[in-house]
Amino acid sequence: MKEGFHIIEHPADIGIEACGNSLKDVFEFTALGLISVIVEPTTVDPIEQRFVRLVASDAENLLVKWLSEVLYLYDGQNFLMADVSIEHISTNELEAVITGEPVNERKHEFKLDVKAITYHQLKVVQEKENWLVRVFLDI
Amino acid sequence: MLKKLDEYRYIVPKSFREGMKVEGLIYANDQLIQAIEKDQTLMQVANVATLPGLVGRSLAMPDAHQGYGFAIGGVAASDMQTGIVSAGGVGFDINCGVRLLASDFLLDEVRPKLDALLDQMFRDIPCGAGKKGIIGLSYEQLDQVLENGAHWAVRNGYGRDADLQHIEETGKISHADFNAVSKHAKERGRDQLGTLGSGNHFAEVQYVEEIFDEEAAKVFGLSLNQVVVLIHTGSRGLGHQVCTDYLETMQDAMRRYKIQVVDRQLACVPIQSPEGQNYLKAMAAAANFAFANRQMITHWVREAFARVLGTGNLHLVYDVTHNIAKEEVHKVHGEMKRVLVHRKGATRAFPKHRPEVPKDYYEVGQPVLIPGSMGTCSYILVGTEKAMEETFGSSCHGAGRAKSRHAAKMEISAQQLIRELKEKGIHVRGASKSGLSEENPNAYKDVSQVVEVVHNAGIAKKVAKLIPIGVIKG
Repeated sequence: MKEGFHIIEHPADIGIEACGNSLKDVFEFTALGLISVIVEPTTVDPIEQRFVRLVASDAENLLVKWLSEVLYLYDGQNFLMADVSIEHISTNELEAVITGEPVNERKHEFKLDVKAITYHQLKVVQEKENWLVRVFLDI
Repeated sequence: MLKKLDEYRYIVPKSFREGMKVEGLIYANDQLIQAIEKDQTLMQVANVATLPGLVGRSLAMPDAHQGYGFAIGGVAASDMQTGIVSAGGVGFDINCGVRLLASDFLLDEVRPKLDALLDQMFRDIPCGAGKKGIIGLSYEQLDQVLENGAHWAVRNGYGRDADLQHIEETGKISHADFNAVSKHAKERGRDQLGTLGSGNHFAEVQYVEEIFDEEAAKVFGLSLNQVVVLIHTGSRGLGHQVCTDYLETMQDAMRRYKIQVVDRQLACVPIQSPEGQNYLKAMAAAANFAFANRQMITHWVREAFARVLGTGNLHLVYDVTHNIAKEEVHKVHGEMKRVLVHRKGATRAFPKHRPEVPKDYYEVGQPVLIPGSMGTCSYILVGTEKAMEETFGSSCHGAGRAKSRHAAKMEISAQQLIRELKEKGIHVRGASKSGLSEENPNAYKDVSQVVEVVHNAGIAKKVAKLIPIGVIKG
């Protein structure tokens, strides 16, 4: 798989697969993948910052919490992510700076509501040089 | 591995996978079982059968397809004292459900003004991804919604007292507690009350094309060529976040209760544990939010009818939930037992003479509303005694998806779909072009086959068939 993310199929919903050189990369790619399902990403500009700090029981739990937080920022705080920089990450904690802007119905092209991040066939693994992630979203 | 019991039922034996404590039972005909076998539905039915404290069988309805943890179209009951509750067994869209409104108009009276009616509904009902509601709630008001559900909506001018008698649980689950709902969930829900959402949610204008059971149709207030409106939506971001929060809580707590599950999405805790009780309070609060949501949309549908057609006197036939866990009394191995019935993409289908059935339907039974996919027919059925014996009083909930969103989108463009539907006399208003083609009817199983299985297996009986003429899509 090439570095970055791509969208995969599920009979009812949508999944994201990501590949990168580090845990930091795959977590960043997957968050960008999530945003690309919700909105046309080229319509969102990096204007304001939000800081996120999370603690989890393992890497899979951390991924679900991380994506749930990005979804919550949009759905609960009306803040859309344009870009992300993970400053610190291990398999059970993460600190990130998210840049983006408040939701503007006239500016942003919305695609689909994402209900939630699931544990279904969830994968966060290291294979040789690469980290691979697979996660399904409930639409 | 699968054992055919009769024409409409298949057993998933305990030997299907290690750890199954009860058998699985699937309702399907020869054709639908092939679709069910294609994805992971059978394994998910078997996985559910490994959960502690389950009674009876792990069930799947004929519209079943692969979900998360539980299959969509799954039903499972656990003992109230010794069993578990699973947030994944209800799903993310808590109290996603369907509501049917019946108008005083006939098809011929509505046809000439259909476009104006759909335009009005599309303007008045917020729908589509990223769309916020038109009323902003304070947190105090939101707490009132969470405790009082559709009762809050009626008290605030959205509908009539009579509506409440025709909603499952009268539109208010009384053990709801807003304190069990997180701030995150409240923030996601606060400006989404009174919105349809996107995905497979819709409001459809339809007419009664065929009646199978004259007596029940009459009692439900349905007659040939009558125009009706079917609304399908749920608890929006608030319910989704409640499920996300409690999946997390349950995963942590499971270790303490020494429960192991074969799929993390099946995370569960004992019903009587503090975590289990808190989940049930939060789930009920989210369910109440969904009842209020459908109640407000009902009000706007009535207003649109009044503005375009002169009167908005639509009566609420019934409102059913198809994602919920409910405490009910059922006969298990000849003994009456209090159980928690998880219905994940399944509808309650109680027969006549049950106290839960509205007074005016008491002699016929509870209406079961089965929406088809966009542009196909929908059905009204009625609950049966057989459902009480076999399925904890449950039946199917819709057509069930057969193709992925991507495959559906590749099949037909939105413009072509709109044109084809218009040729069939169905006018569409959609917030998202790609959303429309993803919901193209070919992406779903044939709802008529699903309903035939349910009818012939006896777990609900056909009352009427509805044909769409107008669709509002998120």
